[in-house]
Amino acid sequence: MVAPIYIITIPLGIAFLIGVLGKSNKNIGGMFMLIALACMSFVSAQWFISFMTSTQSPVYIYTAGFKPPFSINLLMGLNEAFFTLIINIATLLGAIYLYNNLKKQGTNAMSVFLGFAMALNVMVMTRDIFNLYVFLEIASVATAGLIILEQGLKSTSAGFKYMIATGIISSILLIGIIFAYNYSGTLNIDGLIEANIGILKGGAIAIFLILIAIVLELKPFPANGWALDVYQGADSGIGAMISAASASASLYVLYKLFAIAGESWYPVIAVLGIITFIASNLFGLKQTNSKRLLGYSSIGQIGLLITVLGLSPYLGDKFEFIAVTLLISHYLAKAILFWISGIVKAENIKNWSNLRKKPLLVALFGTAVFLLLGFPPFPSFFGKWELVMQLANSGQFAWMTAILVGSFFEGIYLFRWFGYTLKLDNKELPEYKMKLNKIIPPAIFGVAAYILGYYSGTFVDAAKGLDYIPLLFIAFIALINFLPAWVKNSISLTGVILYIAVIFPEFDGDLLRQIFAAIFLGGAVLALFAGFYSKGKRSGFHVVTLAMFAGLAMLLKADNLLEIFYAWELMTIGSYFLLIRGKKSMPHGYSYMMFSLGGSYALIFGFALAFVSFGNLDLQSLSGITIYPTLAYSLMLLGFMTKTASFGLHIWLPGAHGEAVVDIHFMASAILLKAGVFGIILVLLGMGTEASYAKYILYTLGWIGAISALIGNIAASFQESAKRLLAWSSIGQLGYIVFGLALMSHLGWMAGIFYTATHFLYKGVLFLTIGGIALKLGTPYMYRMGGLIKKMPFSFIAVLIAIITLSGIPPLVGFAGKWLFYNAIISQGLYFQGIVVLFSGIVAFLYLFRLIYSVFLGQLKDEHRNVKELPLCLLIPIYILIIAIMIISARPDFILKPIGNYLLAYFPSGALNWNGTMASTGLGYWDGYWVMIIVGVMFTLLFGWLLILNSKSKKVKQFNMVYAGEKPFRPETTHMSYNMFSGYNKALGFFMMPGVTGFWNWMSDILHDTANYFRRIYSGNGQSYAIHIIAYIIIIYLIVF
Amino acid sequence: MEYISLITGFIMLMIGLWGILSQKNIIKIIIGFTIFDTAINIIIISIGYISGRTAPILDKAVPVKDAVTKIVDPIPQALVLTSIVISLGVTALMLAYALKLHKYKNTLEINKFKDLKW
Repeated sequence: MVAPIYIITIPLGIAFLIGVLGKSNKNIGGMFMLIALACMSFVSAQWFISFMTSTQSPVYIYTAGFKPPFSINLLMGLNEAFFTLIINIATLLGAIYLYNNLKKQGTNAMSVFLGFAMALNVMVMTRDIFNLYVFLEIASVATAGLIILEQGLKSTSAGFKYMIATGIISSILLIGIIFAYNYSGTLNIDGLIEANIGILKGGAIAIFLILIAIVLELKPFPANGWALDVYQGADSGIGAMISAASASASLYVLYKLFAIAGESWYPVIAVLGIITFIASNLFGLKQTNSKRLLGYSSIGQIGLLITVLGLSPYLGDKFEFIAVTLLISHYLAKAILFWISGIVKAENIKNWSNLRKKPLLVALFGTAVFLLLGFPPFPSFFGKWELVMQLANSGQFAWMTAILVGSFFEGIYLFRWFGYTLKLDNKELPEYKMKLNKIIPPAIFGVAAYILGYYSGTFVDAAKGLDYIPLLFIAFIALINFLPAWVKNSISLTGVILYIAVIFPEFDGDLLRQIFAAIFLGGAVLALFAGFYSKGKRSGFHVVTLAMFAGLAMLLKADNLLEIFYAWELMTIGSYFLLIRGKKSMPHGYSYMMFSLGGSYALIFGFALAFVSFGNLDLQSLSGITIYPTLAYSLMLLGFMTKTASFGLHIWLPGAHGEAVVDIHFMASAILLKAGVFGIILVLLGMGTEASYAKYILYTLGWIGAISALIGNIAASFQESAKRLLAWSSIGQLGYIVFGLALMSHLGWMAGIFYTATHFLYKGVLFLTIGGIALKLGTPYMYRMGGLIKKMPFSFIAVLIAIITLSGIPPLVGFAGKWLFYNAIISQGLYFQGIVVLFSGIVAFLYLFRLIYSVFLGQLKDEHRNVKELPLCLLIPIYILIIAIMIISARPDFILKPIGNYLLAYFPSGALNWNGTMASTGLGYWDGYWVMIIVGVMFTLLFGWLLILNSKSKKVKQFNMVYAGEKPFRPETTHMSYNMFSGYNKALGFFMMPGVTGFWNWMSDILHDTANYFRRIYSGNGQSYAIHIIAYIIIIYLIVF
Repeated sequence: MEYISLITGFIMLMIGLWGILSQKNIIKIIIGFTIFDTAINIIIISIGYISGRTAPILDKAVPVKDAVTKIVDPIPQALVLTSIVISLGVTALMLAYALKLHKYKNTLEINKFKDLKW
């Protein structure tokens, strides 16, 4: 193997050689620089692989042949190999990225870059503290040189502030070092550890100065204004180096020096870290400059890593895994983000929509955002999971909360930014070129994020059962993104069907999962089939759709809490991308993501409490929570209710669903919402009704369900857009389901589960038909429709059947649901909630009537004379669903009997009595089969009679009438379905006041105003920054000593 | 008496810091830095000082066999050499920066360079 000393000598030698070459040989110099960096990476990689795969023992390198304390020594162990490897790879790719900039500045710049890389390597490897100081200074000077690579006022003033700050910091370090030497007589780190000078007062101060200097190098809040200016002022290629390479080196230095400091310093460091993490992410909220925002995020992430370091006593043997996964995620993501910010050259985050001109950049940006926030399949997901679990295990709930709050702040601005990128108009923005040397580095890091994500998963026991085959399939679909939509659709459909064949037998004997699998995966098949309507490429659609369905399938397959969380987050990613595809859905996709993110942090908190109570991650752990059980169950229910869009957490849904196109609307409403139902079922099964807290939780949950039902249905009645009408109606319907489950009785659950299945069917029909019509007519507004019955008879029949089902009129299956519901409510004695639910059921008639009347009846609009029936690819799924409705309507016992048997295990009393097809409870009986037959006969007779009568009537053409008076100013306001229920609106309109939206907006405003107020400490004056640093040292000193 | 240089060092340290934190002219700030650095060098030297001993130079006056009892601690002196070199480099770079800053705005007032903030 190549000796580690070459990591230092190669760049040093080449740097001098390049200097000698002079200005004329820039290309040769550049080649030499890249070769040197490649050699360094190779040496590190060789050592790293050898440490990982064999029993290689760490190697000390002694300079000048003496042993310490008479010489400086370096160490190459596993840690050093890892850190030098990531530093060298980052600098190699960074040099490739910056190649043209470096060449423009000449060979001197290349020497400086090599010096920078070398200094970072020595900082990692050295075991001599003075040597550390020297190379820290070399790194600082080299960085200051690189900052003005891009010459200009901004970079120069940032560089000067950087020099002031690092000048003070390194002087503090030097004073600390000399006093440490005074008390210990050695400069060797191992010697210092042995000397244990912390027990002396003076020694403790020396250690304090050394540690605080290294912490200051890591840019803690609030002594970090200079660093923000550097991130903003310097070239993004340099920003990437500072954020990825320098920060990694400094973190390792802090880790190394921790051994000298001893355990009493851990809490101090952790507190400094978390303050930085939260404050930095909070201040980022108001930032609009992309590079400065990345600076805030970088500083925040480093703060998190410092916290993890400080919390290491609580993390046990998982510490290394957590630290490495979080570090590597930060490293990859920040480098990618800085690099692409240099390609797109957009300062303001609103101009990042320019990124959309190159899909690869969007994919990389998305990868980096989700990587930073700890979503699957990335390493940070596992890191964050283990971090939360281990903290919970040590009882550190306050730390958990702080970390999750900080992450949430980060999510707020990252997703806002990402939303801008995906949705804002980019026509006016300048063109830019994507040079090969600038795109290769971020692309490599992007691919590495996925590979390392898989690799990290193999270290987590609970993640061993994860099924990566769907993810591979999705990766394949991503690779063929350039093909037309119908090809990808066919391949995806085949894949899903094959997967169903594999996965369905796994649920044998588990009715609950079978029902949900039928909804999720059956729904997937129908949705993909409907997707054939679309022309063109539909870039990215299939990837995210499949990601969502993969998440849903994994949710059902999950054997432990980690797998549930993995599936949940995967589904969230997929659905976010689906929902934000609509034309005006930027704000709605954003609020969806915010609720999802908050929800998933609530979930992980609840899961952590379950894990600690039970001792492992099995699903049974949900049933035995003993630590803060009220909090745990409430948080988990809240987390799952963000997806069912229950009252209070519903504000994202109407907009997001209202803007989605037909098949996405179907997936989002009929299928996705049921994932939340599944989660609630799991939690409630675990919680049971016995415990004292359960009563209160269930009572609250019941009211949330009832109010959601009421609000959803009332709001639906006042919508002008047919799609928003259906969206609000979903909120109402999901309210019924939540209410049914909250009853915690046999009949209540039967109603809830039955509603879940039937809602999928009839809402599926409505979403596909109405969505299809809205797409065809180019408007979702009902007052622009009308008279379509003759143009679209099949759609009309489908909608008619669906709304009869929804409204719960016999003979169709909706009645069965209602019948069960009222039985359950009455037998439970919940009259008050029962009245609310009953009332909302009546309100449903209003909007259902409006829906069918405004769209299909009345006068046909002039512009719709040539409209044709919906395409077959929509009608076929619609009619498959209709057939299912008819079958279940005729024989509801097919599905109710198995549900009843299944529920007997949980709720043995209060079951339905079956007599053939007749079901009865203590309150009454009902026989779906005979009702169907009788109503069917009556319908046929009356319909025939009507046809006979009709044959005598005189047909009146549409324009066989006289218009009087003038043409109205706004014709649509005279349309009957415009503001159709204005009378009711006067009476009930107050329900529609956006109170909940107002509440969330108010919260958001407070947060942003706070951020805006406090970030003013970063005044931009280099001297104030110096004062911050000195004050920081003094204040921490006063607190600690 | 042996603390005199240490105390001087700390007084100079404070003067240097005062210069860095209070002067508005960039050149004066840089001078503050050089005083600060010099002060640290004096502190380092005084830490290694042992009363009544001579400089750690091995010549006729200090034979090798007596060196241990006759000279002061040589390590801080070696450190100071390195430290001087570093502060030379840093000061040079700072001055270069000052020159560039002056070119952009024709002023050396540090308050005028607040383009990047918040």
